[in-house]
Amino acid sequence: MSYCLGIDIGSAYSKGVLMDDRELRASYYCLSGGDFRLTADKIKKELLSQADITSKDISRTVATGYGSKMVAFADKEITDISCHSKAISTLFPSVKTIVDFGDLYSKVFLIDGKGNLLNFLLSGKCAGGSARVLKVMAKVLQVNIENLGDLSFKAKKDIEFNTGCAVFAESEVISRVAEGFAKEDLLAAIHKALSAQCYSLAERLGIERDFALTGGGARNKGLIKAMGDLAGMDVHVPDAPHMTAALGAAILADEALKRLEVRGQNFFVDK
Amino acid sequence: MAEEQKKKKKRRTATKAASSIGPMVKDFIVGTNRIRAEGKQKLAFTFIVCHHEEILRAMDVVPIWTENFAGICGAKRDAERFLERAESLGFSRSLCTYALCGIGFDHWREELGEMPPDAPWGGMARPDFMISTGQILCDPRAKWYQASQQYMPDVPIYNMDMPYPLYDRTADHREVLGYYHKYVVKELRGLIDFLEKQTGKKMDYDKLEERVELSDKTWNLIHETYELRSASPCPMGTGDAMNTMVPMCFMMATQETYDFFTGLNKELKEKIAKKEGVIENEKYRLLWGGGLPSWFALTDFNYFNSKGAVFPAETTYRMVTPLDEMDLPETSDPVEHLAWRWLGYWTFWYDKARKRPGSEPDVERLINYIETYDIDGVVMHEAFSCRTWHVGLIWQLHQLAKIYKPIPVLYLGKDGKQETGHRELPSLILESDIIDISSYSEVDTRNRIDAFIETLESVAKDKASVS
Amino acid sequence: MNDKKVKGLSKVENYYQHYGLRAGELNKEGEKVIGYICSFVPVEIITAAGCIPFRIKGDVHEPITKGDNLMETIVCPLVRSYFDLCLKGRYDFLSGIVIPHACDSMVRGYSAWNYSLDLPYSYFLNIPSVVKESSFEFFNAELNNYRRGLERFVGKEISDDDIAGAIRLHNNNREKAKALYEFTKPEVPLISGTELRKVLAVGLSLPISESNQLFDEVLTEIKERKASPGKKGPRILIDGACIDNYSIMEIVEGLEADVVTDTVCTGTRDYWPEADTGIDPIDALAIRYLDKINCPKTYRENRPGTFEGDIADRFGDIGARAEEFNVDGAILLVYKFCDPFGFEVPARKAYYESVGIPLLCLESEYSAGTIGQLKTRIQAFLEMIG
Repeated sequence: MSYCLGIDIGSAYSKGVLMDDRELRASYYCLSGGDFRLTADKIKKELLSQADITSKDISRTVATGYGSKMVAFADKEITDISCHSKAISTLFPSVKTIVDFGDLYSKVFLIDGKGNLLNFLLSGKCAGGSARVLKVMAKVLQVNIENLGDLSFKAKKDIEFNTGCAVFAESEVISRVAEGFAKEDLLAAIHKALSAQCYSLAERLGIERDFALTGGGARNKGLIKAMGDLAGMDVHVPDAPHMTAALGAAILADEALKRLEVRGQNFFVDK
Repeated sequence: MAEEQKKKKKRRTATKAASSIGPMVKDFIVGTNRIRAEGKQKLAFTFIVCHHEEILRAMDVVPIWTENFAGICGAKRDAERFLERAESLGFSRSLCTYALCGIGFDHWREELGEMPPDAPWGGMARPDFMISTGQILCDPRAKWYQASQQYMPDVPIYNMDMPYPLYDRTADHREVLGYYHKYVVKELRGLIDFLEKQTGKKMDYDKLEERVELSDKTWNLIHETYELRSASPCPMGTGDAMNTMVPMCFMMATQETYDFFTGLNKELKEKIAKKEGVIENEKYRLLWGGGLPSWFALTDFNYFNSKGAVFPAETTYRMVTPLDEMDLPETSDPVEHLAWRWLGYWTFWYDKARKRPGSEPDVERLINYIETYDIDGVVMHEAFSCRTWHVGLIWQLHQLAKIYKPIPVLYLGKDGKQETGHRELPSLILESDIIDISSYSEVDTRNRIDAFIETLESVAKDKASVS
Repeated sequence: MNDKKVKGLSKVENYYQHYGLRAGELNKEGEKVIGYICSFVPVEIITAAGCIPFRIKGDVHEPITKGDNLMETIVCPLVRSYFDLCLKGRYDFLSGIVIPHACDSMVRGYSAWNYSLDLPYSYFLNIPSVVKESSFEFFNAELNNYRRGLERFVGKEISDDDIAGAIRLHNNNREKAKALYEFTKPEVPLISGTELRKVLAVGLSLPISESNQLFDEVLTEIKERKASPGKKGPRILIDGACIDNYSIMEIVEGLEADVVTDTVCTGTRDYWPEADTGIDPIDALAIRYLDKINCPKTYRENRPGTFEGDIADRFGDIGARAEEFNVDGAILLVYKFCDPFGFEVPARKAYYESVGIPLLCLESEYSAGTIGQLKTRIQAFLEMIG
């Protein structure tokens, strides 16, 4: 048995994936909260109990995400960009361009056929364009975030919505609600604005086929459809897009472990 | 604040020369305050890279580089209170933060009639006059002193226009250089008239000639010294260059600066002979391809170093070009020469760019540096408050990627077979500001750097498997 | 589409809603349309070359997407909007473009414009930032270089007489614009601020002779007007850079106030100064564009040596306009990231105070969504002065 743990401490949610020789054994996610160190411990504990193993059984841990430096028990930190790339290229080997809808930023990266990162871009600070805007909208419109996408499909009217930035979008949406616009129409407009912004970011890097979406925002069907329409091609989306980085971290941990084993240094990793 | 300062560890530099800069700047600021108190020399607020230092030095006028002072406030992480003051006066925080910091400081000093409490290094002295120039690339320079004058209306301004022709791929810039030169010469002569009136002294043209010769000599020396950084391992990085820019930009046309670069030249040669690099195990050579640094976060360069990356070159503050490659018209008049050198500097890359389809002077310079310094990736910084140096960066990277693909890679083709191709260099744009620390997140910046290093790593892997 | 029966304000409305419609038609007929941004481009020389000067207009309703791929978001939002629309093909009838040295956003973005539009003609006009004898000499040479570039593009000489003729036409246009402003002078204005600015904007999208004809039609129409759209509310002056969308005017006029005058580009900053006649035409243009257009971009020496004297010199046209149009209050609209205007906001405020005109300062992001949010502040301001 060689258990590998991938743990992704994001700015909003944290996720963990436990694998045994490339087989998924447990997964878990929760709000990141204020203390990343505690959150990391909590996730680990939860995964261990799900798989019914102890800490000693874990051969290698890779931490990723915004708060990866706070995961005290990790053997290595790797950025979420590399972790997403690894997981996506494992799941969908033909993918070259990935858009990650994160809470803090949207990111676009290009990978080669082997999951190696070739170039990347993050949404700008001023331009906004992160998935946080969806969360804000769900709150303002009092809609369950899971239903945002479906609701947006019911839009009847095209309305104008300008900002992809969460701060401005909030006040813009509030004033639109006051003007009597329908929820569905507003949501469709927001999805359109956000996807236009992210697609534009991807264009800046140059979109190469195939195209995949990942990150928490990629759970939203409205966004997936809008991005697909803009790209004029099918998009690949993992079943649990919010877990992708944690999965990639676990895969990278597994790969490193195997490399180390080949070098005959297994004892070193096992401690 | 003062306590914190003492505790703050000094940033590690690679060269001895760079580590000697801190005290040099401090002496400089303290010196201007002493001169103010003594009242024997005239003090002028002014800006760097205007090719007028020789005139100031020859007239014995002491420049106060207001951008430098704002940078010091930023580096000491003590700019916020001056920025806030400017904001309370009605200036938007989206404007140039150097200028906001300076205006906020001036307002405070004028209001108190003395230096604001705990002013960094004794504070920025009140000037006798202000010399500004917007050139054709910096609106805040043209507006800053005018705005400060609201709080010190008795301090006169000389605003000189220093245009140069923008690159036009369809025309030879030499066709218009004549009238540009004529104008710049008149503006520089206007400066001399202004200074003669303000100081009550006449310009000594022999002295001016000496200063011009000295700085020309220094230009060549700096160029030659910086080229030494192309050695492998690289003996001096951009982190150090953000120190050595001080004599280059603030003390040109002085013997001290010539001596400084003579020393640096010698130090670098010794390091190269001993194969002593900025870092022990140099993995990636990066180009700082655009943008002023975040003065409060220069340790980011050390962070790059800790990841095996070093910056042998930067376009920022490389304010000299080799004179013998500039083809300047001969003239015995030092003012005419200054104007030719000014135009020669700004048009330096024009001919080279014209030869490469799709290139532009800024892009051409990147390509030349990438080749000269054997570069693996380009890093830029977009400071939100400064349009002068930070607009056009995205376009430059876009154009660079389009016309310059130096990395051989193997692709997985459609049928699963491997194909060879070429890719552009990886690049990274950091986002923050020159001195507004509220725009900066260390975690975020370092996450981006980490991802960039991982990109370089996988590109290197791919590249290796090709060859 | 150029229906001869549609006249005056209905023609304006059509051309405003479909900005560039007429220029597109003329381009199809073989005319060359030269786009430009900002008030600093001497349009007279474009007209003299036999081309149509076309002022590129932004669109607050169009989110900026493509433009952000090539231009930083720290560029002023107005310039970003211009660039984004051009990239999206909104003005695909242009044969050329002229960008002046007016601000960093324009200068530093020039390469991106030049390469991504890749038009047959493209010129960067270098304008001095100071007003001195030496700068006139330089500007004169630069204007002649601009003229020669256009000559090469159209393949014919542009004579002094051609330019003098164009100057007369454009001056004529400015006189008609001033006559339109006269209608805002009565206690209840005969033309609304929103209407007037649409007319003025559309005027900059047409060949000068058509623009003159349109202004004449509007002048006749307003003269015959029975019902006035004015409100008899507080009389407002709008100050700032280029304001080419009328959301602000609509908000003000929706709150029972009247926008009676302005000191903005595409308003009186542009339409008031005429080029001198009877002197060398290039000299006349140099004087108009360097000295007569009062933009913060151009530095003028503080001759009086006092702050009060300096602001009276720099901002005197605001006071003059306020007096002429009997203004009750002013709204200064400055774009985020606009250094030339941003750095003189406190001085402008001090000037308004010195002449006793109440002032509301607003920072704009140039996006329909955010303009709406300014409404509350405008309302409070109007209540205060009303």
